[in-house]
Amino acid sequence: MRSQVALVACNGGCRNTSCAYGCIGCGMCVSICPFGAIAFNDNGVAQVDERLCQGCGACVVECPQGIIRLHDADCPIVIKCSNRDPGKVARTACEVSCIGCGICEKVCPSGAAQVANNLSAIDEELCLSCGMCAVKCPRHAIYDLRGILTAKA
Amino acid sequence: MATFYVNGRTVTVQRNQSLLRFLRDELHLTSVKDGCSEGACGACTVIIDGETCRACVPKTDALEGKHVLTVEGLSPWEKKLYTYAYGEAGAVQCGFCIPGMVLCTKSLLDRVDDPTEEQIRHAIRNNYCRCTGYVKIIKAIQLAAKLKREGAIPEPTETDWKLGSSVHRLDVEEKVLGYGKYPDDWYLENMAYGSAVRSQYARARVLGIDAEKARALPGVVAVITAEDIPGENKVGHIKHDQYTLIPIGGLTHYLGDAIALVVAEDQETLEKAKKLVKVTYEPLPPIHGPEEAKSPDAPLVFDEEKTNVQAHKHVARGDASGAIAQSKYVISRHFETPWTEHAFLEPECAVAYWDEDGYVRILSTDQSSHTTLHECKLLLGSEKVRVQNQLVGGGFGGKEDMSVQHHAALITYLTGRAVKVKFSRAESLLVHPKRHPFWMDFTIGCDENGIIQGVKASVYSDTGAFASLGGPVLERACTHASGPYNYQNFEIDGTAYYTNNPPAGAFRGFGVTQTCFAIESLLNEMAEKVGISPWEIRYRNAIRPGQELPNGQIVGAETGLVETLEAIRPYYDAAVAAGKPVGLACAMKNSGVGVGLPDWGRCKLIVEADEKVHIYSGASCIGQGLGTVLVQMVVTNTPLGRDDIVYERSNTWIAPDSGDSSGSRQTLVTGEACRRACEKLAEALGNHPLSDLIGQVFYGEYLAKTDKLGADVPHPVSHVAYGYATQMAVLDRSTGRIESMVAVHDVGKAVNPRSCEGQIEGGVVMSMGYALREQYPIDENCKPIDKFGKLGLFRAHEIPDIQAIVLDKPGLDVACGAIGIGEITSIPTAPAIAEAYYQLDGKRRTKLPLEDTPYERKR
Repeated sequence: MRSQVALVACNGGCRNTSCAYGCIGCGMCVSICPFGAIAFNDNGVAQVDERLCQGCGACVVECPQGIIRLHDADCPIVIKCSNRDPGKVARTACEVSCIGCGICEKVCPSGAAQVANNLSAIDEELCLSCGMCAVKCPRHAIYDLRGILTAKA
Repeated sequence: MATFYVNGRTVTVQRNQSLLRFLRDELHLTSVKDGCSEGACGACTVIIDGETCRACVPKTDALEGKHVLTVEGLSPWEKKLYTYAYGEAGAVQCGFCIPGMVLCTKSLLDRVDDPTEEQIRHAIRNNYCRCTGYVKIIKAIQLAAKLKREGAIPEPTETDWKLGSSVHRLDVEEKVLGYGKYPDDWYLENMAYGSAVRSQYARARVLGIDAEKARALPGVVAVITAEDIPGENKVGHIKHDQYTLIPIGGLTHYLGDAIALVVAEDQETLEKAKKLVKVTYEPLPPIHGPEEAKSPDAPLVFDEEKTNVQAHKHVARGDASGAIAQSKYVISRHFETPWTEHAFLEPECAVAYWDEDGYVRILSTDQSSHTTLHECKLLLGSEKVRVQNQLVGGGFGGKEDMSVQHHAALITYLTGRAVKVKFSRAESLLVHPKRHPFWMDFTIGCDENGIIQGVKASVYSDTGAFASLGGPVLERACTHASGPYNYQNFEIDGTAYYTNNPPAGAFRGFGVTQTCFAIESLLNEMAEKVGISPWEIRYRNAIRPGQELPNGQIVGAETGLVETLEAIRPYYDAAVAAGKPVGLACAMKNSGVGVGLPDWGRCKLIVEADEKVHIYSGASCIGQGLGTVLVQMVVTNTPLGRDDIVYERSNTWIAPDSGDSSGSRQTLVTGEACRRACEKLAEALGNHPLSDLIGQVFYGEYLAKTDKLGADVPHPVSHVAYGYATQMAVLDRSTGRIESMVAVHDVGKAVNPRSCEGQIEGGVVMSMGYALREQYPIDENCKPIDKFGKLGLFRAHEIPDIQAIVLDKPGLDVACGAIGIGEITSIPTAPAIAEAYYQLDGKRRTKLPLEDTPYERKR
């Protein structure tokens, strides 16, 4: 319980046009993962299989974009974007980018979702995993990793 | 449009809506409770494709092909399993969170055969419970897992319903399976929906109300304003100062004041129509707190009042100032305690309709159906009102006032329509009275041995926008500020101020949670000064049978404070010996209203055609388990068995008025009335079968007679009984978090020991929130700013080990010796925790929630 697993905070991939922050598909994480838990998904983005991930953090260190972090495996609601550009710029960079609009912050019942530097983040200590932010996000940048409230990827 | 499956059945939903609304309003699967519709509370938890999920979050269009499971869709064996496990563990109190918890249980046990306690806590950590402190829910899940592995469900371990037996509560099944009805679970034919347009300003004069556009909207049934009220506009417990609707020309008192009532055919039209009601105001500067309210040039909160002082109390015996002046050790400190929201899981809701006898029938969730009756009769100027309690999803003092009941009654009376008036969670947070914030200055004097010589205090509170129970709360804060100790020089002066904040009223502990924090914290500091332990200073001063409390009352043989101290001693000594930071505090709390007020318990036992005895008492079972208490009382005091007895929920036309579920009074006061009725029934019964008594009524009543405050008698009886408690907190030095809580309570005869433990665990966790984290911040417009999920309520994975110890000491010769437990469970917790932090880091904390702890939430 409360085990940590890796998360790639990007799901732009093949949809990505000009984002400087997202996954570049270099494959460093895929090759370094000792558990074979990371593979490219249909969007061309590295994606962690949480059932295999042991939370060792090797990919976190390795990722040249610095967009992989460890998160609480019990918190399935995650933001898969790392774009810190202002909304106007972020909007054109990728069709699933966080534009820092603050809707997640507004609908979050527990104060867990907060926008800082044009990018939303979820405080997993406070998160109730309700997924209201994921359902309301106009950019589909927030995911329910269980695939119930949103697509899995 | 989407097609998916609900409990295995294919459903096609045309109109895109939240899954919660579809399940409740269209399929009437009312086990799925609407506790907030914000994603916070977890009461609407369902299972979607094997994963727990709140039904209020997804829209139906997003569910194409998915499988949704509610409690109604569990297999018969699972239903039996969870009913048994939750009943056996004593996990069900108000029941509102329970169907959600049950589905979390199922989801966990479907994956894990033998879950660890940590896994269980994590499985329910996103679901709030305000009654149980989660302890017994965790036990229920452990038990369910064991029985599931074994594949067999045994009989309950205790089946004798006599007093002292931990039988399963009588309402376990209907709450676990979700078929028991709270008001919101009623869907009457041709039922309209009503809701109030509330003030835009905390303080403003209403200049005009234009409802034409709203009335013209198709689907709107009516817009009701103050001039439509047939009887008295103002309601209120003691003082009638709560406006049902603010009239044109009238002053608003807070943002929760209702100005117009809108009635519509459906909930969507209702929300649209509310926005179309245009109210014009002359905004006026609001009063933000007592400091402003007491200033000589402060504007008045009420047009009708000459001052912002809502209540003033002065309690004095002996010579406090003189005694303190002669004391070897003297400590003076200032203390502050915050607003607290009750956060019961079920928001306020009432359904009203004209019944077959021509009465306005109100189906309510409140702490006294007779109080609701009384207030609604005045409002309607009519005797033709009947009130019936439904299941009550928690109260804790927050459902003592009119919130929705009077609005529903008014709508039905004026429109003839059946109506449901239900608060959104935001409305509930804004409107109902909260726990009073207090500001307190205390001085204590002790001799060289730590014997208290005198205590002098001055306190004031913010009672907000109407009186509610502000006066009695202040009084109880003052009368109990002395603590449960034997000394004779005590003086306290207290004032409650009206402000334009939300109102404050009753809240578990009723003022004593506040002053107890002050006096107990002072005693802890004094112990250090004298050079004795916090335990020792209490043991030396503890009130003992035959001694005189600072209020002059001589306490009887039932007084068990010393026993609670003795029972906790091994735990205390062990923690101290292990070098752990540990804190201790004591409390007393009255059982019964006391101070000379007419405090009646009444009960009727009627033998009906089904050859069973039906218990009727106008006393609300709000989740504390009163129904079970009364059945156990009847089984104990008659030759009848459990199966001969039916408990009827409180109503106002058969069940006699038995007062509010307030002041920890129902077990004792209504319990004694019931016992008296039992005597008559048992006598009539003799050796006859029940069928010989069909149609007979056996009536019992009991007056808990007391003397009024300041009565000119040598030893006034302030209250018929007191419960006593000692609680302690132990910290983990490495994390700074609470490792364990031990709570020892003297409750006289424990009617149902497991139920009693449940009250204690729930009270302790509630006050851990009060001590460490819960807040109810109010902004410069007198608006409460936090949502339910931000209040800081404790969650299942955060609670420490809690030991609830129920002493079984013979009580009074009323109610078979049972004394109430409801409130005291929450009283000594905060000062015990504050002392534990002092032991950890040497900082005296005099303000709640405590600062500089790992639980603190920075804003």
